[in-house]
Amino acid sequence: MQMPIRIDPTRALADIATFQRKLAAGMANLRHMREPEYANTPRELVYSEDKLKVWHFTGHGKATAKTPLLIVYALVNTVWMTDLQADRSMVRNLLEQGEDVYLIDWGYPDGADRWLTLDDYINGYLDRCVDAVRARHDLDAINLLGICQGGAFSLCYTALHPDKVKNLITMVTPVDFHTPDNMLSHWCRRMDVDLFVDTMGNIPAGLMNYVYLTLKPLRLNQQKYIGMVDILDNPAELENFLRMERWIFDSPDQAGEAFRQFIKDFYQGNKLVKGTLEIGGKPVDLGLITQPVLNIFAEQDHLVPPDASRALGKHVGTTDYTQLAFKGGHIGIYVSGRAQREVPPAIHQWLRQRD
Amino acid sequence: MADPANDFIRDYQTLAQQSWDAWARQFQQPVANPFAPPPAPAAGNDTLERTLAGLKGYFDWLQAAAAGSSAPSSGNDWRQQLQQMFGGASQPFAQAFGGIDGAGAEGFMRQWQAWLQAARQGGFGNLPDAPTPAFGLNREQQMQQQALATALMASMQATARYQELIQRANAQGMQRLQDKLAEPGRQIDSLKGLYDLWVDAAEEAYAEIALSDEFREVYGEMVNAQMHARQQQQQQTEQICQQLGMPTRSEVSSLGERLQALRREFRASRAGISADQADEIVALRRELAALKRQLASASAAAPASKKATAEKVPKLVRKPVAASRSGASPRKRK
Repeated sequence: MQMPIRIDPTRALADIATFQRKLAAGMANLRHMREPEYANTPRELVYSEDKLKVWHFTGHGKATAKTPLLIVYALVNTVWMTDLQADRSMVRNLLEQGEDVYLIDWGYPDGADRWLTLDDYINGYLDRCVDAVRARHDLDAINLLGICQGGAFSLCYTALHPDKVKNLITMVTPVDFHTPDNMLSHWCRRMDVDLFVDTMGNIPAGLMNYVYLTLKPLRLNQQKYIGMVDILDNPAELENFLRMERWIFDSPDQAGEAFRQFIKDFYQGNKLVKGTLEIGGKPVDLGLITQPVLNIFAEQDHLVPPDASRALGKHVGTTDYTQLAFKGGHIGIYVSGRAQREVPPAIHQWLRQRD
Repeated sequence: MADPANDFIRDYQTLAQQSWDAWARQFQQPVANPFAPPPAPAAGNDTLERTLAGLKGYFDWLQAAAAGSSAPSSGNDWRQQLQQMFGGASQPFAQAFGGIDGAGAEGFMRQWQAWLQAARQGGFGNLPDAPTPAFGLNREQQMQQQALATALMASMQATARYQELIQRANAQGMQRLQDKLAEPGRQIDSLKGLYDLWVDAAEEAYAEIALSDEFREVYGEMVNAQMHARQQQQQQTEQICQQLGMPTRSEVSSLGERLQALRREFRASRAGISADQADEIVALRRELAALKRQLASASAAAPASKKATAEKVPKLVRKPVAASRSGASPRKRK
């Protein structure tokens, strides 16, 4: 049998030397690199409450869309993934398409927010944000774009307040939490969530990040940084890398009660698709969502498996349901080159046909 | 007998290790002048630490693997060569796991050990290895200490079971790597290529185990046991705080809960009032419009009998709130 490993020792040593040389040469770049900024697309504050802010992106020209689009992001991680850097900004691309874009920035919860429930978030904060945007445009209903957990929130909100949502877009949104490939759901199935939240209070962002890293421990904790060595001599690429690192690890803690409910009802109980979910004592029936729905998911998503998102089609009540599969991962769907070309134009086209 | 090739490799490895250490030290140097202004914030020290941890594991492995690749294998036993490359102290899988203990997940075991040490120094006395009957003035304290010790033990055992699964994933990753290498036409000619293939194999094996029923049970047990131990620790901390006259976590938490409940009630009440007022305004507008229509039609039909018509106009009455409320948005929209 042929030897599958034929590594020339001289070459191996040369590889090590090269690795070290790159490290040494790139060290200065790494040391002196400042905290990379996000895209910071021009925006104005239009509503705030507690730690929450609603931003209106002003863009360069006047929006052509008649109905504004409110982006509802997840509570985990910050909202700036949607406006990461100038050439990788979903927000900026949506503005260029002519959309009138608003964004909810949930802020960083602390001990004072420990008792915020899903009812407070969905029927409280989110509802008041929607009302603020409706009032600015004097409209009955606006468009919602929910991302990941924010998508699940948007689904609940639309089912509970159908009069206030004209069109609903969900991106990488988990709907069926019990698909066999959902590692996060699998892991938390035997967790005593009450004990967990009673003990931890708010859930620290560092702990959440730890769990995310252990989904793919070698790729995310080691291989990624080995790859970084190859770009240490390229300040622009290094800055992009560090900006992404900033976004990944500059995460908010999770309000304890909301976390408890989300894990219990969504991850463990899978109540959204079972039709047994209640938010603030009111039943959430996806069948009541009769407005047009665009469901976008990522085919290589390791956090929200595609099947978890695809399930929406079976449960939503609308007859105007569109599904868009994106060739990429959970993060790539916002920031990859392909995403910039495909996702915002697809959203705009779909909305324009229903504006 | 001297072996120039191996001597060279050893020398090179020593030199490489020294350079690595020097490289790492540059990031760890203390500030020479403690009164000097702090340096401009560099991009995430956290990133740097993680990067260093990840790269160190890789670098160690590179060195060990380079030695393994140069060692003469008996016959064509590349599997043995592989074991040499991925075994031992430089095992990159363990390093990858060891390096992700961030602040939030800060190795629970380390926290417990620190707690035990502090507890002993703080007058808690030595924690007993096994529960023993408690009595006397310090009975409650002793019971709590025993409960904490039991919880810590359970947590350590649960973590050990979790680590066994991680090791199993590692072993199965090695097997998968061998299977991949045995695929017809597979040829690896660089350490980086071998490393990347190993990452593929190890992640596949890990994912399979991580999605197993056994892992689910063990993971849940580990989390629950850690939380139970942490809760015991918190209870003892609270007692110390009470003795010192300091507010406790549960007191603050209880205040927060009450405050949030009050805020919720206040908002609901205000929203209710606001909705009631809006409903009243709508009702009044409707009545006003009806009045105007009646006035207009009356004045058109009988200009001479203005007085009689005016008497027929209904009184402007505020409807009872509950009766006038409706679920639909009362605002007139474009």
